[in-house]
Amino acid sequence: MRSPSSLKKEFLTKWVVGLRAWSSSSKEMGLLERKKAIKLSADVAMAAATNGTTIWSHTLINNASKDPNSKHMVQSILTSARARDQSNEPSKFPLLSPPTRCARNRVRSKKVLRKARINYIQRCSRRSAASLIAKTLVKKRTQVLKGLVPGGECMDESCLIKETLDYMISLRAQVLIMQHIAKVMELFNSK
Amino acid sequence: MDMSDKDKLELDNKSEDCMNYHSSHLPSDWQYDSNNIANSSTRLIPNEHPMTVCRGGLSAPSCSSGSMANSFGPTVWQHSQPLGFNGIDVNNYASTSNPLGFSRGVPGSLRNVVEPGWEAASSVLKGGLFLPNVPGHSLSQFPADFSFIERAARFSSFSAGNFGDMLNYCGDHHSVRPHLRGGTVMQCPQEAFHGNVMKSVLDGQPQKDEITVAGMAMGATLLGGHGPTEWGPSKNEGSVERSQGVKMCGNESDEAEFSGGVGDQEEPSLMDTCREPSSAKGVCSKKRKKSGQGVESEQANGVQWPSDEAAKANSEIQHTGDQNPTSVANKTTGKPGNQSSKASDPPKEEYIHVRARRGQATNSHSLAERVRREKISERMKFLQDLVPGCSKVTGKAVMLDEIINYVQSLQRQVEFLSMKLAAVNPRLDFSIEELLAKDMFLARNGPSSTLGFSAHMPIAYPLLPPSQPPAIQPALPAIGISSDAMERNVTSHLTHLSSGYKEPTPQLPNVWEDELHNVVQMGFSASAPLSSQDINSGSLQSGHMKVEL
Repeated sequence: MRSPSSLKKEFLTKWVVGLRAWSSSSKEMGLLERKKAIKLSADVAMAAATNGTTIWSHTLINNASKDPNSKHMVQSILTSARARDQSNEPSKFPLLSPPTRCARNRVRSKKVLRKARINYIQRCSRRSAASLIAKTLVKKRTQVLKGLVPGGECMDESCLIKETLDYMISLRAQVLIMQHIAKVMELFNSK
Repeated sequence: MDMSDKDKLELDNKSEDCMNYHSSHLPSDWQYDSNNIANSSTRLIPNEHPMTVCRGGLSAPSCSSGSMANSFGPTVWQHSQPLGFNGIDVNNYASTSNPLGFSRGVPGSLRNVVEPGWEAASSVLKGGLFLPNVPGHSLSQFPADFSFIERAARFSSFSAGNFGDMLNYCGDHHSVRPHLRGGTVMQCPQEAFHGNVMKSVLDGQPQKDEITVAGMAMGATLLGGHGPTEWGPSKNEGSVERSQGVKMCGNESDEAEFSGGVGDQEEPSLMDTCREPSSAKGVCSKKRKKSGQGVESEQANGVQWPSDEAAKANSEIQHTGDQNPTSVANKTTGKPGNQSSKASDPPKEEYIHVRARRGQATNSHSLAERVRREKISERMKFLQDLVPGCSKVTGKAVMLDEIINYVQSLQRQVEFLSMKLAAVNPRLDFSIEELLAKDMFLARNGPSSTLGFSAHMPIAYPLLPPSQPPAIQPALPAIGISSDAMERNVTSHLTHLSSGYKEPTPQLPNVWEDELHNVVQMGFSASAPLSSQDINSGSLQSGHMKVEL
């Protein structure tokens, strides 16, 4: 597992690069637009700062690349990263296939799941209600979690938990750095 | 004693009258009694027979009254429902010492009248012995009668050591009945044996055959010392067939008592031998279900689920009568279902709810599922460490809830912070240098900052042209100086870091500064601050140990 400090470093660099890409466009941006830009660049930078093995990072980058406004920002982040170290970045690029595959699998798996669930209920009518309730609860929560984690719809349970782990770590690093930067800026501006 | 003599006299006196008076009635009684005798394999039956015979005579002339007569009463009057009364009768009768003398006394008087339809009975009476050789025709209809109950009573008090007697006993039957093929109990292989059992049962054999064969089956399995897998299926089949026989003949209680008694004794030995029935039992459960025994399902439904092994036989008994192995029966029905559903799981894990049958394919599925669950639980443990405040939480749903809350809160924080940054910075022109400057500024405000350099920094940085990477180079010396200063600050803050890393403390900005330094300096391969970097990264790593996986 990579060290969190290196993760943060990379995130910060990339974020700054991305932000610079925005500013180079020299557009007057409102508060919300700026906020969106900041957030997007932060997310992409965070995704790019990972090792590139996780689904959520790929999903994030792909989604960002689809938006024409942010496309070049993403490109700049990725290219700058690639310029720095050639090793892990190329893995990020061939990423467009997973989402479509996931969608198909999801539809198919839903039908299968429904049938399986009916069979399950018929067969296990003797099963206590408590376990059934517990299973439904878990099911609902996994659905919610899938909505939270980017690209979570395509994942199965064990994969989802792994992705959540990684996503949580990255999110936490992102939050910490942003907090720090925000504090710095605030203090500096207040002086 | 007095009573017995008196009764004897009475009966002797009245017997002739009875015979003459009720000759018309007798044949039916005789028929019944002949059936009884044919059924019986006990010594007591011939003794009892004259009793019933005489009672038939006694009943007509307002017979009475002595305690013996009263005890005889039920059998005559209610010979169509012999179950309970006969049993009682037998027990009562067996307890007394009369019968032998009585029986001996009776035949002489009765012989004149009885002879035509009573060869068997007379021979029984003469010998006072058990008469196994009865023509098959009398066996065609077997109402439940005292013989079974009596045998059941015997068997219920049977100890395990008496199985040999039982087997010999049954063996006599076996030899007697030509249709019960298969040689002796011990010799025939179980499969053939049970094939015979099933054949005999399916042929509509009387209950007695069924029971004895079943008893022999059980005895054979026990004494033959077969492994659990063999025992399981064979016993299951036997029990299946027995239950079918039960349904056919309707003598449920007798059989229940019988096999209950047997099963009870079998259990302890079997429990030792077969802890893990494995797929054989799963197969058995399938067979049992396929035979369409609603009986077992009825039993299993209303049952508790104790721990493991049990005689499957008891499951049928369960619904018929209350038996000792109630829990055993439950175990039986629960266990095979469980085993069949998950062959690889240890029994104690799975016995609770699974009753559905699964085929072979599902066994591999269940294995894969188990592996999957293990993976998931392992990862949940990691998540437990990550998510703050989740160390005490157990259970998937609650953990997932916490995880969802945490991820949502982090995402909201990112949104908020980006909004804040957008508000603070109107131009969106973040630069490393500015950030560095601001960091250092913050660091200077830290607890052990060296304010000596503070004057230089704000002056130095505005001079630099922003966002020009090459322009950073002149700033390097300044940065280098500041990094040395930072080093001192950092070392002073190392203790803070090592104490814990959950919330961002004011000391952290110093560490961040060094990170920012590292960010810049790595890009420009400045070697001087590398030592500080190492220290920082080392300290950070120690603090971040929890985050790392």
